[in-house]
Amino acid sequence: MTAASATRRGAAIAFAALALGAASVAAADRDAGRRKAEVCAACHGPAGNSVNPAVPSIAGQPAQFVATELFLFREGNRKDPQMSAIAAGLSNGDLNDLAEYFAAERPAPPKHRTAPENAAAAPALAHKFNCVQCHGPELMGQQHIPRLAGQQPDYLLAQLKGFKAGTRADIDGNMTSAAQALSDQDIQVLVDYLAGLSSGN
Amino acid sequence: MRDLAVAAAAMAVFTVAQAQDKPAAAPPPSWHQGKPPALGESTLHPFAPNLAGRSAKDLPTDKLKVPPGFKVEVWAEGIPEARSLARGEKGTVFVSNRLSKNVYAVVDRGGTREVKTILKGLNSPNGIAFSRGTLFVAERDKITRYDGIEGRLDNPGQGKVVVEGLDPTQQPGHYWKYLAMGPDGKLYFNIGAPGNIVMPNYTQASIMRVDPGKGVLENVALGVRNSVGFDWNPRTKELWFTNHGRDWLGDDSPNDTLHRVTSKGVHFGYPFCHQGDTLDPDYGKNRSCSEFAPPALKLGAHIAPLGMKFYTGKMFPAEYRNNIFIAMHGSWNRSTKQGYNVTRVVVNDKGKVIRSVPFLTGFLQDERGDPPMWGRPVDVLVMRDGALLVSDDYNGVIYRVSYGK
Repeated sequence: MTAASATRRGAAIAFAALALGAASVAAADRDAGRRKAEVCAACHGPAGNSVNPAVPSIAGQPAQFVATELFLFREGNRKDPQMSAIAAGLSNGDLNDLAEYFAAERPAPPKHRTAPENAAAAPALAHKFNCVQCHGPELMGQQHIPRLAGQQPDYLLAQLKGFKAGTRADIDGNMTSAAQALSDQDIQVLVDYLAGLSSGN
Repeated sequence: MRDLAVAAAAMAVFTVAQAQDKPAAAPPPSWHQGKPPALGESTLHPFAPNLAGRSAKDLPTDKLKVPPGFKVEVWAEGIPEARSLARGEKGTVFVSNRLSKNVYAVVDRGGTREVKTILKGLNSPNGIAFSRGTLFVAERDKITRYDGIEGRLDNPGQGKVVVEGLDPTQQPGHYWKYLAMGPDGKLYFNIGAPGNIVMPNYTQASIMRVDPGKGVLENVALGVRNSVGFDWNPRTKELWFTNHGRDWLGDDSPNDTLHRVTSKGVHFGYPFCHQGDTLDPDYGKNRSCSEFAPPALKLGAHIAPLGMKFYTGKMFPAEYRNNIFIAMHGSWNRSTKQGYNVTRVVVNDKGKVIRSVPFLTGFLQDERGDPPMWGRPVDVLVMRDGALLVSDDYNGVIYRVSYGK
């Protein structure tokens, strides 16, 4: 054995010991998420299906989206009197557990009924203003981007107004940018449309 | 003249938008800027990291591949959005954030690695460099020094500003910085182009340096769209850097590139000429690529080369000595994805590139998937024992590649 290979072997053995000492992170746990989510139901409804038009449904949202928004609340990018306070006490593990739980829940059918004229006009707007490019052709969301289909209308309205005003934080500036092109009328039509769309249930 | 014309056109548009009393069309997100009408339907988009990190237990790390004789393992996790890496002289590994606001320290305590959040609330602190006991942190607008950092990880204080005012225009794109300490004792950093394909102002699209004792800035390289990785060739002492080419010119154009800086102030082409031989369809009119420095190597279109290091360790076989390792963070702007690996570039004594070959692979799962990958290499770091660390911001994990028979 050469000196060099002896050194290498020494390093490999040392590493085997080190590997055992690597601080590990728990896997995302859906059942733990279910327990941690008990407090959420008061506003977000059973299993994250909101019955309050001003509060978003989070059942069946992409896991990365749920974790991202909780992260933005916790870090202070996104602000809300209740959510900021709740998120402040959450660890990264909590965020991932909650995300895993809500993503696996089934979204309830929307109660909202879209006016026929808005149902006719909105698909062209969703295309024109690039909604479908990121939120997907059925507006079901993906990765860090939320499902809009079947979302609560007052919540959608407040978010779009916030994006347009530059007061609603987003991770990459895309929604702030996209919302600038929307007139108040466009926003009304889109909200009425999105809130009544099937959420894939 | 062209700068003036573009500026005048931009002002005219601005004035018209104001006069019409309609909602002014916001500038598109910087990554979207320059997308031609023909690609209007394209759904290609950048990928966002899992900001809370993911457990290595939830990742298919068994898919990772290295050449025979090497092995790759998870070295540390729970470092959300792990970006740039820097090594302290007492063995601390510092890790930065880009979208998030923290700087972390990974400390080895007798075989147990502990992750500490040492700095919080910073403004895109992507750039970190360690030198002579001091950690330097480059945020979007300034560079701050934290002296004696390894002795005060739990109380690093406010730090002392080295230079500020680095982002006077609050630029929308490429505002994060890479930072490295040069062999001349000066701090090197990039100021990226403020969008995909736009006319930069005097300080943008550059690599600059600053003497930390004097705070005086100098241009090192111009026409650099965005460099998020550089290092010095240990044999020639030349600065080498990676550069991101523009988007929306198609799946195979232009290449992202590897460059060497043969003299201070060289212009590398942006926004006029890409990859040394391709004129920009707009900004390249009436220009020639011959006036700009060509790349040392074309790395692949949209492959997003980030951190790079010359391998100066002794653990890997001799033929790896003074090779370059590059972390490939992309691609997103092509319909069939490539990259998501660490690539090895072989360079000869004279500083000429001989060949390049993927070294650490397996992050790319489905080249047409969305997302196509489960992890994204950001930076590489040669450890004292010669092992190579690789950060992954998508998951907040650091991997260690070692060699031993």
